[in-house]
Amino acid sequence: MIIEYESRPTLIHGLDPRVKMVWMLCVIIMSIVWTNPVYLVALGLSVVVFGFAAQLPWPKLKGVVSFMLVLAAIICVIQGATYSVKSVTLADPTRILFHIVPGWIPSIGPAAPVRLGGFVYGIGMALKILIVLLVITVFGFTTSPSEIVQVIARIPFIPYQVGFVVSTAWKFVPVVQMQMRTLMDAHRSRGVDFEAGGFTQRVKKTSGIVMPLFANSLSMADTMALAMESRAFGYSKRFTFIRPYKMTLGDWAVLSGSLGFTVVACVLMATSRLGAL
Amino acid sequence: MAPEIVSLKDVTFNYKGSKRKALDGISLSVAEGECIAILGPTGAGKSTLACVMNGTVPNFADGELSGSVMVDGLCPRQAGTAKMASRVGLVFGDPDTQLFGMTVEEDVAFGPANLGLGYDEIMNRVQKALSDLRLTGLERRPPHRLSGGQKQATAIAGVCAMLPKVMVLDEPTSMLDPEGKARVFSIVRMLKEQLGVTVILIEQEVDDIIGLADRVYVMRGGSFVLSGTPAEVFSKTDELRAVGVRVPHIVEFGCLIGASTVPFTVDDVVRTVETGAWAAPQATASPQAEATTEPTAAAPPPAEPVIEVRNLEFQYPGGTKALDGVDLTIRRGEFVAIVGQNGAGKTTLTRHLNGLLRPSGGDIRVLGQPAVGVSTIELCRHVGYVFQNPDDQLFCTTVAEELGFGPGNIGVDGPAISARVEEILDDVGLTRYRDVWPKYLTKGERQRLALAAVVAMDPEVLIVDEPTTGLDWVESRQILDYLQRLRRDKGKTIIIITHDMNIVSLYAERVVVMATGKVVGDGTPQQVFSQPELMARACLRRPAMADVSVALWGEVALTPEAAAARLFAQARPASHDAEVVIA
Repeated sequence: MIIEYESRPTLIHGLDPRVKMVWMLCVIIMSIVWTNPVYLVALGLSVVVFGFAAQLPWPKLKGVVSFMLVLAAIICVIQGATYSVKSVTLADPTRILFHIVPGWIPSIGPAAPVRLGGFVYGIGMALKILIVLLVITVFGFTTSPSEIVQVIARIPFIPYQVGFVVSTAWKFVPVVQMQMRTLMDAHRSRGVDFEAGGFTQRVKKTSGIVMPLFANSLSMADTMALAMESRAFGYSKRFTFIRPYKMTLGDWAVLSGSLGFTVVACVLMATSRLGAL
Repeated sequence: MAPEIVSLKDVTFNYKGSKRKALDGISLSVAEGECIAILGPTGAGKSTLACVMNGTVPNFADGELSGSVMVDGLCPRQAGTAKMASRVGLVFGDPDTQLFGMTVEEDVAFGPANLGLGYDEIMNRVQKALSDLRLTGLERRPPHRLSGGQKQATAIAGVCAMLPKVMVLDEPTSMLDPEGKARVFSIVRMLKEQLGVTVILIEQEVDDIIGLADRVYVMRGGSFVLSGTPAEVFSKTDELRAVGVRVPHIVEFGCLIGASTVPFTVDDVVRTVETGAWAAPQATASPQAEATTEPTAAAPPPAEPVIEVRNLEFQYPGGTKALDGVDLTIRRGEFVAIVGQNGAGKTTLTRHLNGLLRPSGGDIRVLGQPAVGVSTIELCRHVGYVFQNPDDQLFCTTVAEELGFGPGNIGVDGPAISARVEEILDDVGLTRYRDVWPKYLTKGERQRLALAAVVAMDPEVLIVDEPTTGLDWVESRQILDYLQRLRRDKGKTIIIITHDMNIVSLYAERVVVMATGKVVGDGTPQQVFSQPELMARACLRRPAMADVSVALWGEVALTPEAAAARLFAQARPASHDAEVVIA
């Protein structure tokens, strides 16, 4: 998770986790179905609105967004240079925006033209990735792992232990991350410079962390298993959920809005290519 | 006589592949409502004994169990751990590995929910457990946001909600600050006195066991070597020392002054002294008395500063201000203890000193040179940092390689590394393990190795974060004695972060007290322990010996030896006067 779950008194946090899960899936479906960047921007903005309503700590996303912008630029250039522009319904999709190898380079330039159609398609691709990342972040920030467990565990025929294992694995990720940071700090304190040296040397230095990380994680997991067993985990086939879910008016509104919009949008896309590039 | 609830008869357990028995002929009978304490050095078999009582040993551990174990009418091995959970609650030392819920309420409900109880019943139990453990109001808080004491209280509440008749607490205070420890001991008292729960408490904190436990058992090598009431067991000071259990300082003091009855509380000591129920000093009063390390006597002359911190500020990315204008100067050759409750900023401050953290504001100088912006790779040559958990800093496949790892990284040449390795192996008593995988060492040996691996880099300043966590008294003394030798013989500057005020009183010559990201106190241990408001502000408890000396003379004596000397000195003029009168 880019941002861990935080309990906050917002409308989005208060929504039924099942509804949030449906909303998330609907957004992911629409991001796959639509290819037109204009529509994708609108979809992305709707997720941003949810993020603001959930008081998402945006500064924490700075690093990921910076990385995404670089990735988006690379995608746009690659798509612009390689995508078959015939399938794009733009006014002048074959128009050359620039060349990857500029004309001033003697004997080989200009070469590898980046065309408008492919470039715009690339923007769409980058937006899709950004939207999926953002919607999962909003979901993860507003829905506790135990709520996810409870949703999974209430699916018929899935034992609650499965949901619990999923949730524990989820919670374990930041613990392992913290452990990794500590191990790296301990290495630095003993004179290891992770930034120095060539690729092979860096890999060798980083591999020094793997063994203790693995051993410590196993030891921690072992103690956790012991503590869980000591609290009767797996004793009864029945597990009592302490959060009975009741759908509120807001839940119904978000659920019907998400499902209704997705169905209509998919139908329009299939019949009149609304949302296609 | 209350009925027996725990019965162990001639219990022996051998871990698969181990040459030594973890439990060797243990017999134990505990009556309902009783509170027993089990003491002993690490590796004595205490945790194995705890796990036998709820069936995790042998059901979760490869090995052979013999003898009879019955807890509340069930054999844990046959019943299984999950079934035993509603009869025996087991609480471990590290609260982080036993909290599973996203909120305190969910965590406390985890056990009853596993039992498949109805929603109303679960919530009733949760509310009662939260109320009993003074956690009401924290229901919606994520457990990882709680203080150490609150986390452990939540873990205990989770066990209480299963309504067990027996609670086994395995070193529940080992990772807590003094306030957290006090909270856990008050909970144990409440479990025993108000809820009537049978408590089996495995502990290293001997001062707190007196007055809490009905009976005390001391283990070594998988067997009980001492047992009886606290008074009976703690009176056997020589036997306790031989086993490696710290003798409570009040008892130590009583022995040193030849008290007619061994004192166990501050009131006992005051009564003994006021009634004159103590004998004249003897030259060999305590031949095996723990070394007196009078910090003031060993204090070096003022030297040049090695660490200078000015108006240091640090804010975590989430916005939490961890350091708020810290000013601190540490001089060459000092032995400084940084104390304060969890979250006070101790580790954050020291991590700035070797460049692991970059400050948000302020200035740091190491050996007179600016250190802000200088990398850890550079600073580690001058400031060595030993982390709290040895397992986070042992990376190599043999002990000798581990010691050579740091010097190799900073460019020390091969022959010099070999010489250093041999010297340090000898210094820390690990020569016979030079080719052993560090993971095979005991916790105390691993801690010594982690410290030695940093010492091998020959830094001028050594920072050691919580060097005694999870260690027994003998192991703790070995670590601290080594640090003391490094300071005395090699002129190293030592900075330790600790919650153990007994360690502070025995070794530190200077105490820096931190609270809410600031230095709120700085002085000798005597000066700091003499300020009750400062101690309260930093949520610290001064050692029992300080309480005794303040009650007797209104001033702090740090060790039993110092207090005894003070008493003798006070008595001497009187006896001299008496002689004069007689003459």
